[in-house]
Amino acid sequence: MIRWIGPLAVFMITAVGAHWATLAYAPSVIMDRALSTMKNRGISEHAFTTPQRITPQTQAVVRSSPDLFYSLCRYDLIDAESVLRVTMGEWSDYQSLSFFDGNTNNFHRVRGEDKSVEVQLVGPGSTREGSVQSPTAKGIVLIRRLAPTQALFDQAKQVAAGDGCELIAP
Amino acid sequence: MITRALTYGLAAIIGVGAGVTSALLMSGLWSTKQPMEFSNINVDGWVSDFAVGSEEASPYVRARVARHGLLALAKSEAVYFMRNVDEEGLPFSEACDYRISGGALPAQWWSITLYQTSDSMLPMNDDGALSIDATSIVADSASWTARIAAERPDDDANWISSRNSGGFDLLLRLYVPRDDLLERPETALTPPSIERLSCKGDAA
Repeated sequence: MIRWIGPLAVFMITAVGAHWATLAYAPSVIMDRALSTMKNRGISEHAFTTPQRITPQTQAVVRSSPDLFYSLCRYDLIDAESVLRVTMGEWSDYQSLSFFDGNTNNFHRVRGEDKSVEVQLVGPGSTREGSVQSPTAKGIVLIRRLAPTQALFDQAKQVAAGDGCELIAP
Repeated sequence: MITRALTYGLAAIIGVGAGVTSALLMSGLWSTKQPMEFSNINVDGWVSDFAVGSEEASPYVRARVARHGLLALAKSEAVYFMRNVDEEGLPFSEACDYRISGGALPAQWWSITLYQTSDSMLPMNDDGALSIDATSIVADSASWTARIAAERPDDDANWISSRNSGGFDLLLRLYVPRDDLLERPETALTPPSIERLSCKGDAA
């Protein structure tokens, strides 16, 4: 009986370790895959990509809403000096600007009904004050606008001309 | 000595396999797991977890949301309720027609969207009727009804198409939720009810 204690301990330790490692790394692996998929589908880095209306034929992300206008910008702030200026144009109905890190966390969000919004984003290594800091170097900025009809979606696309996602430093 | 080393090696391999498999099953990353099974809020069969989208979420919730609800917002901006069974506890099916009824909901804007259970994507059809929302619903005073069916009904202005979905679930989005919904969802929310009307193969 005693000779099984060692293997049993190894089994328990590796099982617990593998269990928590799977949970810990799953979001970053899934996000990394999503970023690659978006890149392959033409979602720009450091620029908003004008979206198509969400339909069964155009959907790229699970549980996208067909009632919302989504505009995406991938970012990579590995350089500690990098600053990303993100601007959301004015929209008369609900709209929000949200930031997701490489672990899928929605670490910052701003609502902007009837106003435009500007946020300066820096990476995890930055010491710059007055900016929003991303917990990871890579992530996604997402604008959502309420646009449940084709006409409203077309209007949202026009407003999107005032959106911006650009590196202003270094 | 070699036998002993092999025993330890085998124990480690089985341990890793057991650890990875249990994590996949418990988090809902394994495809047989039902979405939202770890939800901690249940209002009349509509389930939610307000930790979605934030770092407060448990590792299990974060892993599952990453798989089934990537880019979900934190609760101050939006909350999500999901339902995958009818009033009798049977899974939603494309083979059945349903009536969904509701009233005012405690948020600035809401929508209900149908997703296929198999991969959490919109079902592949061109009906243009995958959701209803607060701005487009045709309502009688504060209450409204809609039909969920694979074919457009003759008598209902409000329709959610289930065509080509197989099995499906419904996602209720509540944008800019009221404070009382976040604090006391069980009393603040009166969610839509869903009644199964008929299924293909039912006796006439």
